[in-house]
Amino acid sequence: MSAFLGPLEADGRVPPRQQSRVSAFLLSAHGALARQFALALPAKFDAAWQTELNAQLYRESEIVSLLMRATTWVPDFALGPMAASWEMAWLPAPIEGIADHVRAQAVQLAILAHAVHAGIRPAALLPTDANANDPFVTALRRIEFESSRLLQAQILFLKGPDLLPFRDAVSAALDRRHAEVRRLWNETLESIGVVPQQ
Amino acid sequence: MPFLSHGSYRIRYELEGPAGAPAYVLVNGLTQYSELWGAYRDALIARHFRVATFDLLGQGASDKPALFINQDDHVAVLHRLIGELGDGPVFLGGISFGGLIALRYAIEHRARLSGLVPMSCFAELSPQLLLIGNALRTGLILGGTGYLQDLLLPMNLSDQWLKPLLDKLDSVKRQGWLVNDVYALQNLMESFLDFKPLTPQLSSITAPTMILNGEFDFLTPRALHETLRVEIPDSALVIIPKAYHAFTLEKAALTADLLARFAEDVMAGRWQGNKQVLIAPEQAGGDLSPFPDGYDHLRAIPVQRAAT
Repeated sequence: MSAFLGPLEADGRVPPRQQSRVSAFLLSAHGALARQFALALPAKFDAAWQTELNAQLYRESEIVSLLMRATTWVPDFALGPMAASWEMAWLPAPIEGIADHVRAQAVQLAILAHAVHAGIRPAALLPTDANANDPFVTALRRIEFESSRLLQAQILFLKGPDLLPFRDAVSAALDRRHAEVRRLWNETLESIGVVPQQ
Repeated sequence: MPFLSHGSYRIRYELEGPAGAPAYVLVNGLTQYSELWGAYRDALIARHFRVATFDLLGQGASDKPALFINQDDHVAVLHRLIGELGDGPVFLGGISFGGLIALRYAIEHRARLSGLVPMSCFAELSPQLLLIGNALRTGLILGGTGYLQDLLLPMNLSDQWLKPLLDKLDSVKRQGWLVNDVYALQNLMESFLDFKPLTPQLSSITAPTMILNGEFDFLTPRALHETLRVEIPDSALVIIPKAYHAFTLEKAALTADLLARFAEDVMAGRWQGNKQVLIAPEQAGGDLSPFPDGYDHLRAIPVQRAAT
C-alpha cells in the first residue's frame, strides 16, 4: 500500500485500472453536483447570487467532460455496486433545525459541494514522477485546482450571516458529510492499493 | 502516531525525551507541520529537555474542522497537551501564528509556564500586517496552497537559503502542500477576522520571556516585537542577525541553542529580562551582545535614539 497512485507504467502514466476507479468516483460525485445544481438553477435570475449557481453547474459539467475524455478506461466489474453506493450517498440528507424547505435544500447542496471540493484532493495522489504529459495527470491537477476555487462559494454561503442562527446545525451536518465523503473516497482508494496520507 | 482529543477532534502530537525532564513545547506557524521541528527535537533532547510538538487543529495530521476554527480552540489544545507533561518546568515557544497562540496561552495560564519564547510574533495587526494577511488569504483562495507557499518562501527566507534550492523548490514545498488543505488554511487565516489585540493583556504575562525577531523580518517587523518587549515585564528582545521571518527553519541550530540557553538560565536563576535588547550570535554557542547603547533598535540605519 502506498499514499500515491502507482506503481506507474513505464512511460510514467497511472495504471488504467487505477485511472478508471478514481475517475468513476469523481464522475459520480461531480456528476451528482452537476445534476443538483441544474435542478436548483432557475430559468431566470432575480438575485445576484444565482449567477454563482450557473458557474457551479458549468464547472461541474466541465469536470465530468474532462474525466470522461482524459481517462484511460478499462472494464471494471466491481464498479457497479460501488457506484450504486456512491449515488445513494449523494442524495440530500435532512438538516435538523432548518424548517424553511428552500433554505434547507440550498444548505444541503452547499454542504455536499463543500465536502466534495474540500475533502477530495485528487492531485495529492500523484507521485512526483507522474508523467506531466498524461491527460489524466493534468485532469486531476485541474480538478483539484478548480475545486478550491469552486469551494469559495460554499464557504461564503455556509459561513455567511444568513446561516448564523443555524451555525451549530450546519457545522454538524457539514462534519458528517465530510466524514462520509472521506470514507467513500478512502474505500475507493484502498480498493486500488492507495492509502491516503491522512 | 499519538493523538490527543479535543471535543470530537483529534490532535496529532509527538512527545520525546526523558520523562520528568524540563519540557519545551513548540507551536507551528501557519503552513507548517510538526516534523519541521525535527532539528529542535534532537538538539533539545541532547541538552536534556523533553520536547512536545503537534499539528494545530486544521493542520497536518490533526483533524480539520470544516467551517470554523476559533483561536480559543488552539489555546485549549495547548493546555491539554501541556497537561500531559506533568508538573515539571514547561517552556513554551511558538513561531508567527504559533507565537500568537503561545502568547494567548501565557496570558490565560500564566502560572503554568517557566518561560515563554515568542518568535516572529505579534500581539496586534498593524495596518501593514492586516493588509499583507488579507493579500495572502486572497492568494490562497485564488491560487491554492502552492501559490501561498510561492509568496511566503521569498518573503520569509534569505537568498542564501533559497539560492541552492531554486531548481528544487517543488520538492521543498511538496510536504507542506500535501498535508495542508486550502479550506483548513483558510479557516486558520479567517480566525483573524474577529481578532482583538492582545497588547492590553501582555503586562499580565509573568513568565520570563525571550522574544526572538529576525533582523530582516518584514512580515512581522521589529515594531511588532517592540510591543511585546515594552509590555511584557520580564522580557528581553533578541535580534537574530541576517534572519527573516522563518528563521526557525533557516537557522535551526542557532535558534535551538538560544532556546536551550534561555531555559537553562531561567532554571539556574541567571535570567534577567530587564527589557533588554540583545543581538544573537551568528552561530550556535556564540555570545549574545547588547544592542549598541544610544542607538535606536527600531531603525534599519544607525540612528541615535531620541532622548526620553
